[in-house]
Amino acid sequence: MNAPTSDPALRRAVVLGAVVFAVVAPAVLSNYLRSLAADALISGMIVLSLVVLTGLVGQISFCQYSFAALGAFTVGSLVAGHHWSFWMALIVGTAFAAAGGVLVGIPALRLSGLFLAILTVAVALFFDRFLLAPGTWNAFSGGVEPWRPARPSIAGISLDGSYAFYLFVLAVFLLTSLLVWNLRRGKVGRVLRAIRGSELAAATVGLDLTAWKLAAFGVSAGLAGLAGGLSAVAVGSVSAGSYDFLHSVSVAAVAIVMGVGTVASAAAGGLFLAFGPWLLQHTPLSTQYFNLIVGGLLVLQLVFTPQGLVAHNEQLVLAWRARILARRRAADVSAPPDDLDRPPATDELVTSTEASA
Amino acid sequence: MLAIAGTSLLPGFTVIGLVLGGVYALAAIGLVLIFRVSGVLNFAHGAVAMFATFVAYQISVVNGAPGWAGLLVAIAAGAVVGLLVEVLTMRPLAGKPALTKVVVTIGWLLVLQTLAGILWGANAYHRPVQLVSRAGFRFPGTHVVVGYDQLTTVLVALGLALATAAVLRYTTIGTAMRAVADDPAAARLWGINVNRVTAASWMAGSAMAAVAGVLITPLINFDTFSLTVVVIDAFTAALIGRLTSLPWTVVGAMFLGLAQTYPRAFSSQSGLGELVTFGLVLVVLAVLFRPGGRRIRLV
Repeated sequence: MNAPTSDPALRRAVVLGAVVFAVVAPAVLSNYLRSLAADALISGMIVLSLVVLTGLVGQISFCQYSFAALGAFTVGSLVAGHHWSFWMALIVGTAFAAAGGVLVGIPALRLSGLFLAILTVAVALFFDRFLLAPGTWNAFSGGVEPWRPARPSIAGISLDGSYAFYLFVLAVFLLTSLLVWNLRRGKVGRVLRAIRGSELAAATVGLDLTAWKLAAFGVSAGLAGLAGGLSAVAVGSVSAGSYDFLHSVSVAAVAIVMGVGTVASAAAGGLFLAFGPWLLQHTPLSTQYFNLIVGGLLVLQLVFTPQGLVAHNEQLVLAWRARILARRRAADVSAPPDDLDRPPATDELVTSTEASA
Repeated sequence: MLAIAGTSLLPGFTVIGLVLGGVYALAAIGLVLIFRVSGVLNFAHGAVAMFATFVAYQISVVNGAPGWAGLLVAIAAGAVVGLLVEVLTMRPLAGKPALTKVVVTIGWLLVLQTLAGILWGANAYHRPVQLVSRAGFRFPGTHVVVGYDQLTTVLVALGLALATAAVLRYTTIGTAMRAVADDPAAARLWGINVNRVTAASWMAGSAMAAVAGVLITPLINFDTFSLTVVVIDAFTAALIGRLTSLPWTVVGAMFLGLAQTYPRAFSSQSGLGELVTFGLVLVVLAVLFRPGGRRIRLV
C-alpha cells in the first residue's frame, strides 16, 4: 500500500513521449487511420468533459453527447446553412453547449448524484427524440439539409487534408487537456475538491457553492460542445444518430473504466472508443460487440479496480519500478509521496454526493 | 379545425394513454421493489424487460409456440437475469456507495442491449408477441373501441400492483422485504436471510419487467432500443411515488401515459412524449425531492 503513487519526472517523460508519438506516428498511417485518430481525439475530449464533471465535481452524466450535439448542430447549421465562418460557429456552438450544461446543472444543485443521473437520461432522450428530431432545427437551418459543413483553413493552410486536420484536432485536444490539468492542479481544483469533500465545510469557509458547481457544469458541457463542433467538420455532415443516448452511455462507461481522476484517461478513452471497433473488425467478432465489451469491462472494473484502468496500471508500473530501484539502492530514503496526484477511487468520488443527499 | 379534430380524438387517446400507463406501472413497480429492498436504482430495468421480451419473441414468433408459453419463458428469463445481476455484481459491492451500483447497472444495460442486438438484430422491426386478440368491444355509451389486448394490459397492471402490495403486507417474504428495506442490519439480527430476500426482490422485480416488456411490444416500436429506454418512463412514474409508494407509482404511471398521449391528438411533432417526460422529471425532482422532504411508506 506504500508504493509511490506518482513520479513527476517519469510522468513528464511519458507525456512528452506520448505527444511526440501522437504528432509523428500518424504521418505514416493511411488516410482512414488518420481520420480514426482524429475521431479518437474528439471522443477523448468528451471523456475529458467527464473528467471535469465526474472527476472534479463528483456528478455523473449520461447526456454528454447531447451537449456535443448542440455544438455539432450549431456548427452545421451556421456554417452550411448560413455561411458563417467556422471559427465563429465553433465559438457559438461551444457557448450554446456550455449554456445547456449550466441549465442542466441548476436542478443538479439540489439533487444527489442518483437523481441527477436520472435527469441526465431524461435530457438525453429529450434531445434524441425531440430537440434533434427532423424538423425541430428547420427554423435554424437556413434551408439547407442535411448540413455538410466544409473544413476551415488556418493561416492559408487548408485543413482538408487528413494529416493537417489531425494535427489541428491534436492541438485543440492538447490545449483542452492542459486546461483541465490546470483546473485540477490549481485553485479551481482545490475548491472543487473541497466542495466534493464536504459542502458544508466549503460553504463555511466562504466558497460560493452554486457558482462553482454551475461553472464546472458549464466547462464540462462546453468541452463536449467543442468536441461536437469539431466532429461536425471531421465527418463533414451532421446527423442526430451520432449523438444519441447510447453514445453518451458508452462514453460515460469508458470514462469510468479508464478512471475519471486523471487527464490521461481522456487520451486512453478516446483511443479505445475510436480504435476498439476498428480492432474488432480484424477479429472473428464484429464492431457490434464493442458495447458488449465496454459494458462488461465497466461491470468488472467497478468490482475489481475502482480507481480506473489508467491509474491502476500507473500504480502497477510504479510499484514494479520501485521494486527494481529498491533492489538497486538497498536501504535508501524515498521521497514523501505526493498525495495530491492520487486519483480518487470511484468510491470516493461518489461518497460526497451521497452525503449531500 | 385542427383543434376540433383533436378533441374528437381524445376518448380514443384516453384508452391508449391508460394502456401505456398500465405498462409503465408494471415496469415501475418492479423498479420500486428493487430500489426499496436493495437500495439500487436499476438503470438496466428496461434492458432486462427488453431482453426477456426478445426471449418471448424467439419462443412465440420465431419458433411458433403459443403466446402464453413465450410469456412464461420470458418471465423465467427476466427472473434469471435479475438473479444474475444481484448475485454476480450487487452482492460483491455490498457497502459500496449507491452511485457505484447505479453505474454497474449501466454496464448491464450496455451488455444486455448489445447482446440482444447481436442475437436478434439491432435496428430491424420485429413482429410483437400477441398474447390476446386485438379484436375489441365498443365502450358503452361512446364510439371508442377498446381492444381486448388493451383491456388485458390495464387489468394485469392493476392486478400485479395489488398483488405486490398484498404480498408485501400479508406474507412472510413480504414482511421480510419491508424489514430489509427499513434496516438491513436489524433485519439480519431478527434472523432474516438478507441476501436471499434481496435476491428475491431482484427476481420478482425483473420478472415484472418481463411482463411489462411483453405487454408493451404491440404498443411501441419493437426494437432493442425503444424498450431499453422505457426505464426512464418507469423512473418518472416511480419518482411520482417518491420511489417508495406503490399506489402513487401506479397513479403516476397512468398520469404519465395520458400526458404523453394527449398532445399527439393536437400535433404530429415527434418526440412530444419525451418532452412531457422530461418536463415531468424536472417538476417532480424539484417539488417532491426537495431537501428535507417527507418520507412515505412502501405500502
